[in-house]
Amino acid sequence: MDLRKEKTSILLAGAVIGIIASLLVFFGNPANMGFCIACFLRDTAGALGLHSAAAVQYIRPEIIGLVLGSFLLALGKKELSARGGSAPLTRFVLGVFVMIGCLMFLGCPFRMILRLAGGDLNALFGLAGFVCGILAGVFFLKRGYTLKRTYRLPVLEGRLFACIQVVLLVLLVAAPSLLRFTQSGGGPGAKHAAILISLAAGLIVGALAQRTRLCMVGGIRDLVLFRETKLILGFVAILVSALACNLILNAATPDTYFHLSLAGQPVAHTDGLWNFLGMLLAGFGCVLLGGCPLRQLVLSGEGNTDSAMTVIGLMAGAAFAHNFGLASSGEGPTANGKIAVILGIAVVCAIACLNTFRKKDA
Amino acid sequence: MSPARSRTGNIPFPSSSEMTYIATFYSHFGAIRYKKLCQLHGMAATLMPVPRDLSSSCGTCVRWEGDAPCPEPSCPEEVEQIVQVLEAGYRTCYRAENS
Repeated sequence: MDLRKEKTSILLAGAVIGIIASLLVFFGNPANMGFCIACFLRDTAGALGLHSAAAVQYIRPEIIGLVLGSFLLALGKKELSARGGSAPLTRFVLGVFVMIGCLMFLGCPFRMILRLAGGDLNALFGLAGFVCGILAGVFFLKRGYTLKRTYRLPVLEGRLFACIQVVLLVLLVAAPSLLRFTQSGGGPGAKHAAILISLAAGLIVGALAQRTRLCMVGGIRDLVLFRETKLILGFVAILVSALACNLILNAATPDTYFHLSLAGQPVAHTDGLWNFLGMLLAGFGCVLLGGCPLRQLVLSGEGNTDSAMTVIGLMAGAAFAHNFGLASSGEGPTANGKIAVILGIAVVCAIACLNTFRKKDA
Repeated sequence: MSPARSRTGNIPFPSSSEMTYIATFYSHFGAIRYKKLCQLHGMAATLMPVPRDLSSSCGTCVRWEGDAPCPEPSCPEEVEQIVQVLEAGYRTCYRAENS
């Protein structure tokens, strides 16, 4: 596939993904949250009892679909490859802090785009922080940052994460009494599209993201490193198509899908500084991990156990965030959350330095 | 594209004059160092994102024109694979052990 075809395919994929994300809100997901990897992993962690925030508990079939969509396409294209062994615990820790950054902002990079497409101007502060975080990560990439190489692993290792998603789906469909769910009207966890719609959306987006390597971090990183616009075109296409779809839904339905303002936005707060710092932490951590949370899910589906470990770190981060009062709410950030974000930036800086400037291993 | 040829250290294919090669790496910095290595040996090399039809990973690769898959007798440890660019696809010249 030449570069032109790659650009066309990522533009089309981004457009489809943006429309799907907008329609998921129409079908029941929270506003400006057709997709949010951070929020959906947080909800899944809550449904499994890893945290007890009653407002955000539901196994999100979109996550299951994303992993399985990537898995099935990689299997079909013979790209499924069990790999791992590249600093898994470091990736876990980075995953924890990326999630804490996302929950300070109230959304992953994917939702940041969807919030912009819904007219939420607070996301501009998040975007500025995200770009700064990526630039910080690129600074270390250029100076030698590496988490060392991956290794081929037994076949089962590469398929286990997809199997876990199937187990989660079976639990959701066949044994919901074992899980925790947000009561109707009790918060974002109670708002969701029907299981089959969510699952289908996840499968399609997972397959498209696997095929095009769509990554919110990679787009800005490649633009900075190579002046290469291919990946960022996907980012732009999602924004444009979701915006267009939101405007159409706004005109065609009584509900609000687009509302240009800072205040009164759904599942968002107006503290610009902490929106900025939260996404700075997320962007910085994601560059060191090699991709945004969406990309980590897709790579997990392809058999990358390092990415699976990152996803587990993201879920653990979500549990910590809600167990220790670190996550923001519509009221704004918490004091604990501010401390955790500052601590997170320091830890991510330390990880970057230690894996960039350390002496050669024996 | 021919099947992968897996050997560590030595380049399995003989030299041929002025072919195009692409090398992928385990880190971005590995790619920067390899590019400098190519340039040190007088080969014009470019850093770029890994082409999609070569890999599903989205890291950095080095593309260069030269008469050998590697400027030196053994590959640096950061190199994941080296392929020769053909009209019909790629031919694997080197793949790191257990990758």
